[in-house]
Order: sequence, then C-alpha cells, then structure tokens
Amino acid sequence: MNVFMQLGWFFKERKKQYLIGILMLLVVAGLQLLPPRVIGYVVDEIRLGTLTGAGLGRWLLILAGAALAMYVLRYYWRIMIFGSSVLLGRRLRSELFAHFTKMSSSFYQQRRVGDLMAHATNDIRAVQQTAGHGVLTLVDSVTTGGAVIIAMAVTIDWKLTLIALLPMPLMAVLTSWYGKMLHERFRTAQEAFSDLNDKTQESIAGIKVIKTFGQEEEDIDDFRKLSADVVGKNVRVARVDALFDPTISLIVGLSFFLSIIFGARFILNGDMTLGDLVAFNAYLGLLVWPMLAFGFLFNIVERGRASYGRIRELLAVPPDIGDADGAADASPRGDLAFDILEFRFPEAEHPALRNVRFTLKKGETLGIVGRTGSGKTAILKLLLREFEGYDGAITYGGIPITGYRKERLLEAFGYVPQDHFLFSATVRENIAFTDVDAPFAKVREAARLAHIDEDILGFADGYDTVVGERGVSLSGGQKQRISIARALLMEPELLILDDSLSAVDARTEEAILAALKETRTEETTIITSHRMSAIQHAHQIIVMEDGTIAEKGTHEELMALGGIYHEMYRLQQLEALVEQGGDA
Amino acid sequence: MDAPEQQKLTGRDQWRVLKRLLRYLRPHKGAATVALILLGLTVLGSVLGPYLIKTFIDDYLTPREFPAQPLMLLAGAYLSILVLNAVFGYVQLLKFQEIALRIVRQIRIDAFTKVHRLGMRYFDKTPAGGTVSRVTNDTEAILEMFVDVLVGFLQSGFLIIGVYIAMFALDVQLALLSLLLLPLIFLIMWIYRKYSSEFYQDLRERLSQLNGKIAESLNGMGMIQVFRQEKRFREEFGEINDKHYEAGMRNIKLDGLLLRPAVDIVYALGLILLLSYFGITSFSEPVEIGVIYAFVTYIDRFFEPINQVMQRLSIFQQAIVAADRVFRLMDDPEMEPAQPEQGDARIAEGKIEFRDVSFSYDGKTDVLKQISFTANPGETVALVGHTGSGKSSIINLLMRFYEFERGEILIDGQPIRSYPKDELREKTGLVLQDPFLFYGDIESNIRLFDGSIGSGEVQAAAEFVQADPFVRSLPDGYGQKVTERGSTFSGGQRQLIAFARTMVKEPKILILDEATANIDTETEVAIQKGLERMRKGRTTIAIAHRLSTIQDADLILVLHQGEIVERGTHRELLSKGGLYHKMYRLQNGILEENEAR
Repeated sequence: MNVFMQLGWFFKERKKQYLIGILMLLVVAGLQLLPPRVIGYVVDEIRLGTLTGAGLGRWLLILAGAALAMYVLRYYWRIMIFGSSVLLGRRLRSELFAHFTKMSSSFYQQRRVGDLMAHATNDIRAVQQTAGHGVLTLVDSVTTGGAVIIAMAVTIDWKLTLIALLPMPLMAVLTSWYGKMLHERFRTAQEAFSDLNDKTQESIAGIKVIKTFGQEEEDIDDFRKLSADVVGKNVRVARVDALFDPTISLIVGLSFFLSIIFGARFILNGDMTLGDLVAFNAYLGLLVWPMLAFGFLFNIVERGRASYGRIRELLAVPPDIGDADGAADASPRGDLAFDILEFRFPEAEHPALRNVRFTLKKGETLGIVGRTGSGKTAILKLLLREFEGYDGAITYGGIPITGYRKERLLEAFGYVPQDHFLFSATVRENIAFTDVDAPFAKVREAARLAHIDEDILGFADGYDTVVGERGVSLSGGQKQRISIARALLMEPELLILDDSLSAVDARTEEAILAALKETRTEETTIITSHRMSAIQHAHQIIVMEDGTIAEKGTHEELMALGGIYHEMYRLQQLEALVEQGGDA
Repeated sequence: MDAPEQQKLTGRDQWRVLKRLLRYLRPHKGAATVALILLGLTVLGSVLGPYLIKTFIDDYLTPREFPAQPLMLLAGAYLSILVLNAVFGYVQLLKFQEIALRIVRQIRIDAFTKVHRLGMRYFDKTPAGGTVSRVTNDTEAILEMFVDVLVGFLQSGFLIIGVYIAMFALDVQLALLSLLLLPLIFLIMWIYRKYSSEFYQDLRERLSQLNGKIAESLNGMGMIQVFRQEKRFREEFGEINDKHYEAGMRNIKLDGLLLRPAVDIVYALGLILLLSYFGITSFSEPVEIGVIYAFVTYIDRFFEPINQVMQRLSIFQQAIVAADRVFRLMDDPEMEPAQPEQGDARIAEGKIEFRDVSFSYDGKTDVLKQISFTANPGETVALVGHTGSGKSSIINLLMRFYEFERGEILIDGQPIRSYPKDELREKTGLVLQDPFLFYGDIESNIRLFDGSIGSGEVQAAAEFVQADPFVRSLPDGYGQKVTERGSTFSGGQRQLIAFARTMVKEPKILILDEATANIDTETEVAIQKGLERMRKGRTTIAIAHRLSTIQDADLILVLHQGEIVERGTHRELLSKGGLYHKMYRLQNGILEENEAR
C-alpha cells in the first residue's frame, strides 16, 4: 500500500478526477444494491398476492432508472480513474525519456538498451496499473463489498450474513495465494520462453555452421526439447491458473448452500421472508467480484511498488557533465589548442592518451592517423566533451572548452561518427537533422557536397525515401555520405570526420575532400582515418601510436622523415593497386 | 519490437487462417473430446445447482414440509454437484490449456523445421529478428488465442445453451421471451468488434511506434546529443506519447460504452423482463417462487461469460494476423538446394572439379564467371583475391548453400547434386571465417549434437589441431562455459575450437575460410601448425588471406571480379610478376623503389 503514498503527488494533482471517480464508484455500489432488494420485494408481494400492476410498474421503473444511472456512472468513473492512470503513464514516460536525453555516455556504457527499454515499457505499465486498476480494486472491494454486507446485515438478517460470509475470506486468501504462486511460476515460464527465443536466435545466426555439419535434425530435436520445456513450465502455470474459477464457484456455492439451509431455518422461525432469501442470494452474487478484487489488489500493488521503485531509481541518476557556473554563452571561434598530459577512460587501467599536444589554426585541416586503439577517437571524444576529468587543457579561441555552455560548444561542431547512425526517417530529415526547417535547396547542397545527391535521386522516393532501421537498407558508403551531408548542413565551425570515409571508394573520397577544401576555406576541419589518402593534403598530420603522438608534420615532412607514416603510406599505395586488380 | 506490418486480412483470409489453425487440433482429438465432455458436465452442474435450490424452495420450503431423507438427499446432491463441478471444471480448464500449449508447440516446431529447410537466399534477404519473431512471439499470440479466446468461446457457448435448456425446462414462454436478449447481445458484440478491431489495432500500432522511438533514441542517443537535438526528440516523443495517450483514452471510452456497462444494461433488461413476466402472471395464476429464484440465478450466470468473451474479441484479431505471418513463413518457397534423400553415391577419393561454373546471387550480375579448376585427391587448392573477387562464392556453391544453374561441379567424377545430403555433410568439413560458437561448453561445441563422439575423440581432435594446450589452461578445461557466441574467447581461440569441431568428423574434403580477424600472436603459431596437419591427406580448398599460409599449395587461383586471372604454384606466380606478386609483396611489407615513388 506504500506505493499509493509514493504516488500521492499524482493523486493530489488529479484530486478532482479521483474524488469524482471514487464518488461515482460509491454511488454505483449503492445502486447495485437495488436490484436484489427489488427482486426480494416483488417475490414477497407475489407470494402474498399483494402485487398490483402499479406496484410492479413502480418497481420496474426503479430498476430501469438504476440501470441507466449505473451505465452513465460506470462510463464516467472509467474516464476519471482509468483516464488518469493513462495520463500517469504518459507523464512518467515523457519524464523518463527527457531524463534519458540528459544522460552522459558513461550512463549508457553501464546499462543495456534492453534494460532501459524494459523500464520505459513494462515498469511504467505496472505503475499505470496501480494507479488505475489498483485504485479501482481497492475502492471497489471496500465500497461494494462493504455496502453489500451492510445491506445484507441491515435489511435482511445479520446472523445469516455472518454465516453466509464464513467461506468468503477463504476466497480472498486463496486467490491472493494463487496469484503469488502464479506470478512465480509465470516468471519461470517466461524464462523458458526466453531460452527458446535465444535458441531460435542462435540457430538462425549460426545457420551456416548447422548446415555445414548437417546438424539440422539434431538442432530441431534440441528445439523440440526446449519447446517441450516451455510446455511443461506453462502447464505448471495452467495448474494454478485453472484453480481460480473452480475455487470461486466452489466457495460461492458453499455460501449459497449455507444461506439456503440457514435461511430456511430463519424463515421457519419467522425471522425473514422467502423474498428476503431470494434477495439475499442475489446479494451474495454481488459479493464475488469485490472478494476477487481484494485478492488481486495485493498482487497489483506489489508489482507497482517494485516497478515504481526502479523508475524512481533511474530518474534519480544525475546527469554528470553540466555547465560550469558562468560558462560562456558564445559559440567558439578561433584556434584550437589541445594539451593533454594524461587521460584515461573511467575504470580503464591504461591511459588512453599521454602527452598529446597540438595547435590547430582557424581554417586549417588536421589529419590524425594511427591504428585502432591508438587514441584517435579518444581525442575526438574529449573535444566533444563526452568525457572530462583529464590532466591538461583543451582551449578553443583561447577559452577552455569547459568554459563554454555545452550546447553552444557543440553547435559549432559538425561530427561525423565512425558508426554512422541514421534514424528511421526520410533521407531529407536525416540530412536536415540539426535544422528541420532547412530549405530543400540547402539540403541538396549538403548532399551534393557529400557526393550522395545522385544516389539519393536514384532511390525509389528520392529525398523522401525512408532509411534507418525500418527503412530501405543502404550500403555502408551511402550511410557514411549521408552522415557527412548531415554534418555539412550545419556549416560547422569545426568539422570532425571520424574515419568516416572508410567505406567510400577512392575516387569519391577524393571528390568529397576536394569539395570540402573548396567550400570550407574559413573553417577548421579534423579528419581521422586509416587511409592516408584522406589526410595527406591536411595542413598538419599527427601519427598516433599507443595514445601518444609518434610523428607530426605535413605529408612532405613526414615522408621525408621515413618513419611510420612513410611506411604506412607506401603499403597503402600498393594495396590500392591490388584492389584495382594490379593492372595500374 | 519488430516493425508493425501493415496488412489488412479480408474476412475470407481470416477464415482460411483459422481453419488452418484448427487443423492442428486433429492429433488431440481424444483429449479435446474428454475436455469437451467435462465442459458439458460442468455446464450441466452449474445449471442443475439452481434447479435443486428451486426444488427445495417450491417443494419443501414453501409448503413447509421437511422430510429428513429427501432433504438430506437434496443437500447431498447439491454439495456433490458443487464439489464434482469444481473438480471437473479444474480438469477441463487444465486439459484445454494443455492442448493449446501442445498445438502451439507443434506450430513452433513446424516453423523452426521450416527455417532449417530454407536456403541461404532467404537469410540474405530476411532480417534474423523477423524470423525469430515468427517462431516465438507470433506463436505466443496464437497460444493466447487458443487459451483465452477459443476456450472462452466454447465455455460461453456451452453455458448459454445449457442455461437456455434449463430455462425451457422450467418455463417455455419465459425462455422464449429471454431469447429476445440474444440479438441485443450480438448487436453489442458486433458493434464493439467493429470499432475495437480498429481502435485496438491503432493502440497497438501507437505503442509499437512509442517503443520504436524509445529504442531508436536510446541507440542513437550519442548522435542526438552531439547534434543537440534533445529538445526536438523530446517534442517528437511527446507527440507520439500524446497520440498513444489519445488512443488509450479512445479505447477506455469504447470499453466503457460497450463492454461491461453495456452488458449490465442488458442484464437489467433481463431482470425487468423476468419480474414483469412473473408479476403479470401472478395476477392470474400462482407463481412458484423457486422458479423465480432459478431464473434470476440463470440470468446472472448467463452474463459473466459474455463479458469475458467480449473483452477477448480484440485478441482474436491480433492472433489471426500473427498466425498468418507464421503460415507465410511456413509457405516460403525459398528452399535450400535439393539433394537426394537416399542413394548410395559415396565420396571415396575426394576429387573436386569445377567446370565452367558461372553464378549470380541476384540474377543480374555474375559474381563467378566460367570458373574451371580441378583439385585432385589430397591436393590443396588455394583461392586468393581481394574482397568481392568471388572466393567465398566458390565455397558457397561447393557447400550447396546456393543453387547454381550454369556449369557443373563434380566430386569423384559424379555431379555434386547426385550425392545425398548426409554424405556431402559428412565428407566435407568447412571452417568458417567467423567461427560461430554455440551456448554450452567447449566440449559440446566440438562435438555439436553428435552423441556418438566421445570425450576421448573430442580431446584427440583438439590435440590434433593444437587446441588442447589452450583449452587445458582454462579453469574448467573442456567443460569451460561458452556464452554469447563465444565472446569471451579471442578470435584465434574460437578458430582453434572450430578446427577441432571439423576434424573430429574426419572429413575427406576440407574447406577453409581463413580468419581475417585480428588473431593474437599466441594462437597464431598454433593455428598454423593445426592447419598444416589438417590438410595432410585431404583434398583442401582454402581461402587464404595470408599468402604465407598457402605457399605449399598445389594450385593457387588468383581471383579478380569473379574470374580466375592467374593460376599456378606459389613459385610460378611469383615469377610471373603479376597480381599475386604484388599481393605477396604487400603482405610482406616489401617495397621496391620503383613503386614507392
């Protein structure tokens, strides 16, 4: 019940709706008492022969009036209470989503997307259930249950009420117990199902191996075993699940039996009439649902409590890189100076960067080469302020990058990542990512610069073709070029290409680089690459090795040096030759 | 969450799918009959109970006569019906669920079996997630339908019939009058189904959009943040969230208008009908109170199943759509290349011959053009060339992953198509570039599912390929757990396990797709030694990325754009000074002055 307290803020906010809804439930609980009572009176009047046409008409009118009123009230309390719970779901979901957008990369490194998804879906659903069905079952079981019992005791006979109710608590206890058992068994059944899911996934991923070894039949047998396990675990669920209905009818039947036996005695003693007995039985029928609800209540509330706890925990994680007090509300311009003594990723043993120093003048291009893991990407991550806590300083236009408001800093950067991520949207929307309202001409211009315009026009729907996870599949090179167009559309002060030309062929790469050189005379560019051709025309090249700068200079200087750069360059030339079939 | 496939099934399609689903009931005829009989008995019981009470009221309570024996009998009958009903009801519910579970298991097995009969072409064009979903999630939806909808329909149907029979037995006129309630209920059902199938579908789609947006945003959060689009995404999410909320509200309103509240109105109508009938009758003739009691109880019992069925109507629609998707997988025509099931063609020597083989994946561009070569028994033929040159396609054809139309592939002089599948799989061993490890332990990964292979043989194979030392150095040795596709092992270690897995079968023909992935220097030596031993005495077709590993091959084929551009031994090819020569120098880092300008 604690979770109702924790959700108090929401109930307070929707006080009106909840109060009206509960009030309506109360009225419905009262109105529900009418039909059985009316039946009782009519029966008695029939038996005594006192029923008149007008009397019958009056009773029927009351019944019809009550039914109509209940219909309206039942509709509106649903809107009030269930409607509020759906609203709570929406609230929590958007709060959580907003929170997700504020979390840093280390947050995402520590958690799996699947788990975060589960919080945003299952947990919110459970909390929503608590605020909807939870409230309903609580109110309903108390009000309807209470009202019916009072009506039975007051208008008919309190002794008979007590006797007939004897088996009822057993039902609440049993169903609540079944519920708990069911939950536990259901969890194991879910696990078996998820094993089956994993198995299927694995078989499809490893289909070639299975085919190679001719193990299809054996694999199918294994699947058969696992699916038998799923059946077995689910039968365990069914064994409990199938208990509900028979238990309820047994206990209700017992109640009826007791009420008839003892009711008959009371009638003989003259304590009540036959009509009372019929009415009493109808009341008993009304009690079934509140008793059941009481059993469910504990399970709903228990799940809601656990889920709300997880959501609150998630929302309590603070975003860790914020803006410093008095951070400059300006976009960085000018020279970039990078001076890092040492940096290591959180919880990493070895430093990712050591003694990395360079200065990049405005309008110049910096090329960074080096093997995977040599520190190229770490340099970019620090620039983008994805990580802080390094020993040294990075200044842009003379001000440390931490001295800018992060948003203003990033708006100057056009970043093209290694793993090009496109969203499930049209090509146009993907390119105009930072400026949704960018005129079409501007979008095309960016695409043309990235040499993707022609490709896009070749797609079925041109710029309106949907790409990304749920759209058409593009080649790696096409994705890279769309990512480049996305960054170019910003006309960024600093363009960062993080090995983002790896999947385009040599000629296209050259054309893109030439286009960049032509249009970006005033702005700064950083290119990291495995391929030397991408950076050989840069004003300045640094060769990274083991997190530190091994060589530094222009292409000519480095070639003359005859070191790592020189060797890498020549090997790649030969490789290019082989790629072309060796006939060059 | 997979993408919502927008498809509308016509009424006839739905009927066809349902019929096909029901066909799965056939093997469970016996159990289903038992369950149906039990269901009939429970309905009978729940109809008899009120009848007994009616008898008590009318025959004993009203006339105030209480003979001990008949009353004891009556009470005894009532209580036994109560208990028997609970027992029958339980067994019946359980039986139906069991049948449903077994049916769904059969559908799953059928779908999974089909997956194994599909050709590689299918897997090239279908995302794995979709196929997994067909086998597991969609079949789960079918289960829900069997358990909740079909069984619910049956129960309600039986109960409605039972209640009406009882009512007819008590009072024909009133029972006829009560029949008037049925069209009213069917009308509500019809209207509800009409709107709910639309509204509920809409809600499902909104939910799937909502989840899709969350998943995509979480995956692309880095991009969103670096381009400062948090606010826009929050707004976009807000919009979807609002739409989902509205869809939710629409469903609540629809349910409120047409579900329980509406059915309760019909219930009230039923009561009014009863009371006016009895009331009016009582003006002219006496009415038995017990009959009123029984009718009131019957009307009450009658409406509970109707409420339940209505709530489940929307599940039905979902399940039919899911079942249709499963059946379409089962009917997919993209089968694997056919081989004779039986036959006595045996591979004895292991001679392989390609004659003028051309091949295309898409029917447009040829990835192999007139490939001809022969690998004599015990020889090694090496395939070299750049990415996309056609090396892997040669192996794909030789492994019968894809069907080819032009040219001929012969093994021991016989067409490859004439060998039974089992013979081919047994005699040819393929080591894939990315050795896929299964969940389990090392021993199970070497043995795979072949129960005839003992631990000794597993170890011998591992020793043979030089994998034994590394496996022994693991804390649990051969019992070491392999999780998530073997990600805890290095590329080289996985390769060694894959070697052992192949060699334990002692194939006649060995097909190697050498790993390009970064192999640590520690395993490198072991791998080279293992390879050398494996090739000895076996016809070997090897894709080599490192030319150093195939210098002793009997024949080296240099491929470029689907054609064999050079062929010969290492020595011959080097002296030619062509493409192979350049590749060799590249890999050995030999730069000659004339090329390093």
